[in-house]
Amino acid sequence: MRKSIATLLFSFFMTSLVSAQLERKRANPDGPVAETFLTKNIAGLGTVQLLGKGDLNSMIQHNFGDVRGGIETFFGVDEGANVRIAFGYGLTDDLNIGIGRTSREDNIDFSIDYRILHQTKLDRIPVSVVLKGNTGIRTQKESFGLTFQERLNYLGSVMIARKFSDNFSFQVSPMVSHFNTVVKTKPDSELYNTVYGLGFAGRFKINERKSISFEYLPVIGDKITDTKNHAALVYELETGGHVFQMFFMSGRWFTEQHLLTRTETDFFEPNFRFGFNVNRVFGLL
Amino acid sequence: MKKIIFTTVLCLFISSLGHSQSFKTEEGKATFYSKVPLHSFEGNSENLVGFIDLDEKTVDFYIDLETLDTGNGKRDKDMKLTLETKKYPFAEFFGKLVSDFDPESSAIQDVTVRGTFKIHGVEKEIEVEGTLQMKDNGLHVTAGWILSLLDYKIEPPQILFIKVDKEQEIKIDALLKPVDG
Repeated sequence: MRKSIATLLFSFFMTSLVSAQLERKRANPDGPVAETFLTKNIAGLGTVQLLGKGDLNSMIQHNFGDVRGGIETFFGVDEGANVRIAFGYGLTDDLNIGIGRTSREDNIDFSIDYRILHQTKLDRIPVSVVLKGNTGIRTQKESFGLTFQERLNYLGSVMIARKFSDNFSFQVSPMVSHFNTVVKTKPDSELYNTVYGLGFAGRFKINERKSISFEYLPVIGDKITDTKNHAALVYELETGGHVFQMFFMSGRWFTEQHLLTRTETDFFEPNFRFGFNVNRVFGLL
Repeated sequence: MKKIIFTTVLCLFISSLGHSQSFKTEEGKATFYSKVPLHSFEGNSENLVGFIDLDEKTVDFYIDLETLDTGNGKRDKDMKLTLETKKYPFAEFFGKLVSDFDPESSAIQDVTVRGTFKIHGVEKEIEVEGTLQMKDNGLHVTAGWILSLLDYKIEPPQILFIKVDKEQEIKIDALLKPVDG
C-alpha cells in the first residue's frame, strides 16, 4: 500500500512539474519561406528573392567574349567585358526598386519588383509570385539621333517560384519585352518590337554557403533573326557579406529584355562566355 | 489507509486548481545588444512567451529564435545560421524566484531568479536580476543579463557578414496577464 501511495505522489509531483513548464511552440510555423534563391539575380534572370526593408544591394555584373576564341583571346576575356553596375533597395519587404547601368549602349535601367504572394512553410501559400518591371534607355552618343522615346526599352515579367525543399528551388517567369526602336543589321532580318519569353530558373543548394543554379530563357513566338535562346550555368558562393556568382552564359546582357532579343550564341552548341557577379548587401536602417 | 490516499489526492487536486497567482504572456519583448565599434546592432523579438507562478515561485520563459529581427535580412540569416535555429529553435529559461516578492504591493520590486538557461543545445545554471511590479492589468517583468556566446558553444564563423560581440547583453520586458484558474 505504501508503494502505491509513493507511486501516486510521485506521479502527481511529476505532473505538477511538467505542467509548470510551458510547452515550447514555434511562433509562426506557417511563416514565409526564406531564401528561395540566394540573390535577386541568377546570372541575368531576375528571381523572386527580394531585399528586405532597408537593405541596399550593390551588384557588379560582368561577362566577356565567347570562349570559342580559344587561347588567342584567352577564351574571350581579351574581348572586353560587358559590365552592369546596379543598386537595389528594399522600400518594404515586398517592394524593391533598382537602378543599373550597362556598358553596352550605355543602357541605364530602372526596375521595380513587387511581391504579391509569398510561399509559406506549411504550404498555405504554395508559391511565391513577384511582378517585375524594367525600363531602360540607351544613352550612348550614337543613339542621340533618336528621340528619347525611341531609345526606350521595357520588360514586364511575372516570376512564379517554389522552394520544393531546403535544397531545391524552381522558378518560371513568363515575360514580355518591348523596344521602341529595332535596327536591321542584315537586309533580310526579321525584326519585332515585342518579343515574348518564358524564363526557367533553378537552384540546387550544396550547403548553406554554396549552390549551383541555372537559367534558361527561350523566346516564345516571333524571334528576331539570328538570335538564340539564352542560358546560363552558375556557381554561387556566399562569403562574409558578399555573394559571388561565377557562370558560363550565352547572352551578352544582364537585362532580360536584351537577353531575349540580343543573344547570338547558343549555349547548347556549345558556345558561351565566362562571367561573374558580385553582390554586397548593406543594411541602411 | 484509503482515507489517507483520498485526502492526499484531494489536496493535490485542489492545489493544482488553485493557480490564481499565475501570469502568462506570448507577446513579451526580448532584445539583445551586440556592441562592437562600427558594428553595433541590436536584435528584437516581440514573441517572448513567459509564465510565472507566484505560488510555486516558478519562472518559465522561452523565445522562438527565428523571430529575432536585427533590421537587416542578411545579418538575420547569419545570426540564424550561427545559432543553428533549425536544430535549436528556442532559447529558454526555467527557474525559481529566490528572493521575496510582495504581490500586494504595486511598487517595483527587485527580484532574483535562479534556474537553467538553454540556448544552442547547451544548458547553464544562471542567476538573473530583474524587477517585478504588480499592476492592475498584470505582472510587469523586466530583467537583463550578459550572455557569453562561448559558454553556449556559439561560435560565429570567421567569414560572417557581422562582427559580433562575444558578450551579448540580453534584456526582456513583458507584461504577463493573470491566468484564470
